[in-house]
Amino acid sequence: MSAYQENFFARGPSSLAKLTFFSLVAIAVMIADHRFQALSVVRLGVSAVITPIEQALRLPGTLVDRVGVYFRDQQRLVAENAALKLQVLDLSAASQQATLIRSERAYLDSLGAANARFSDQGLVAEIIRDARNPFARKVIIDKGLSHGMAAGFAVIDGKGVIGQITAVGMLSAEVTLTTEKDQSVPVMVVRNGVRAIAVGTGREGTIDLPFIPVGADIQVGDMLVSSGIDGTYPAGLAVATVAVVDKNPAFPFARITANPTAGTDQHRFVKVLTSPDTSGYPKPDIKAEERKAARDRSGGAAKRREGR
Amino acid sequence: MDLSPVSREAMRPMARFRLLAGSIFIALILNLLPWSGASLRAHPDFVLLVLLYWSIHQPRNIGQGWGFVLGLVMDVANSVLLGQHALIYVVAIYLAQLLRLRVLQLSLLEQALHILAILFVAQTLAILLNLSLGREFPGLLLAVAPLLGAALWIPMNYIATLPRFRRSPIHTTVMR
Repeated sequence: MSAYQENFFARGPSSLAKLTFFSLVAIAVMIADHRFQALSVVRLGVSAVITPIEQALRLPGTLVDRVGVYFRDQQRLVAENAALKLQVLDLSAASQQATLIRSERAYLDSLGAANARFSDQGLVAEIIRDARNPFARKVIIDKGLSHGMAAGFAVIDGKGVIGQITAVGMLSAEVTLTTEKDQSVPVMVVRNGVRAIAVGTGREGTIDLPFIPVGADIQVGDMLVSSGIDGTYPAGLAVATVAVVDKNPAFPFARITANPTAGTDQHRFVKVLTSPDTSGYPKPDIKAEERKAARDRSGGAAKRREGR
Repeated sequence: MDLSPVSREAMRPMARFRLLAGSIFIALILNLLPWSGASLRAHPDFVLLVLLYWSIHQPRNIGQGWGFVLGLVMDVANSVLLGQHALIYVVAIYLAQLLRLRVLQLSLLEQALHILAILFVAQTLAILLNLSLGREFPGLLLAVAPLLGAALWIPMNYIATLPRFRRSPIHTTVMR
């Protein structure tokens, strides 16, 4: 039969049957991925194939960038250089102070007075692109498993926390921004040490501080730094500045919105803090918790059966 | 190179395969470009567009099975919930199969309107899926993607029917 001719009699299952079949399989795959993270191995395998293709696609853009940098005018480089020198001078005072403080801290630690949490070990990475999902606030960086990345590492830029690594491929990693919906960072107010949890809203440049009582002492312009109690973000990193405080006595909690200090649209390079010192924290025993939950469920079912 | 009908017949499956695979590959590459910011929300889904084209013009080669597989590939490439593009592609291709005989009778502009409707259904499905997962609605720029996709339908038809590709006789003629 030639390709010009229609097949007069339909062969195989009808398209409605196919639709039903494929939709059910797709929904099953979605549930498997959402509930059990069962397919992360598949994902890792396929991403290892796709990443080199992506890098090849980036090549023309990178070349154009390089040529552009090469021909950038002298004047601007000189100005930038002068500004950077001033900044180095500015920061060197701070860094000397930090060295002093760190040595004092180490001494106090040796006395057993406090737990050292802040470690400045890290790796500089470049932001390749946004994650190709318009519904999520994530970026992709060019360091992966082969550079020792792992899920949970905090990512910062020159101004503060950007987010944390949530998925790792062979040569790239996915960073979920602090502004991603329901992404939370434990913070405290620098001025008075009030603790709170900063929760992303899913919108550009806003973070919420839910469940703060109306009476709490938080003002517009307050600096929020990570408190370090989660063991993911080291203590003392700048997270956000309070922008709106709406204390309505009709509600039990104040409505507080903050703007993140860091921004991925401002910088191309970020630093991944590779060794969060979590030795002082109990490790979550996920398996045991799951077993316990399963036991509770089956126990409940048994009771229900007895009751019947 | 003018081939006799017999030899043309012999080379047909290979040429058809190359055209189908080549167009899907190019669409995948276009989808994998480093889209960012506004272009991430507004760019049309090239893979879906090519799948719709072939499921209308080559229903025996490209159907829901291909949509499912390429959907999974897109899910992994975008590192989103596995199965979401698969579901959207399968539904869109089903709609294309329903409208197929009707669409083939129409002019390109009217065809593009039908494609616009299918792409809107696909985009709505994507938004509903993501909202049900508890994500934030990222803005009305998402509505631009189907519009651009439908606008691309016309140049796409011209490219696919260029004399160079016409030599591999895979385009169904309209039966009136």
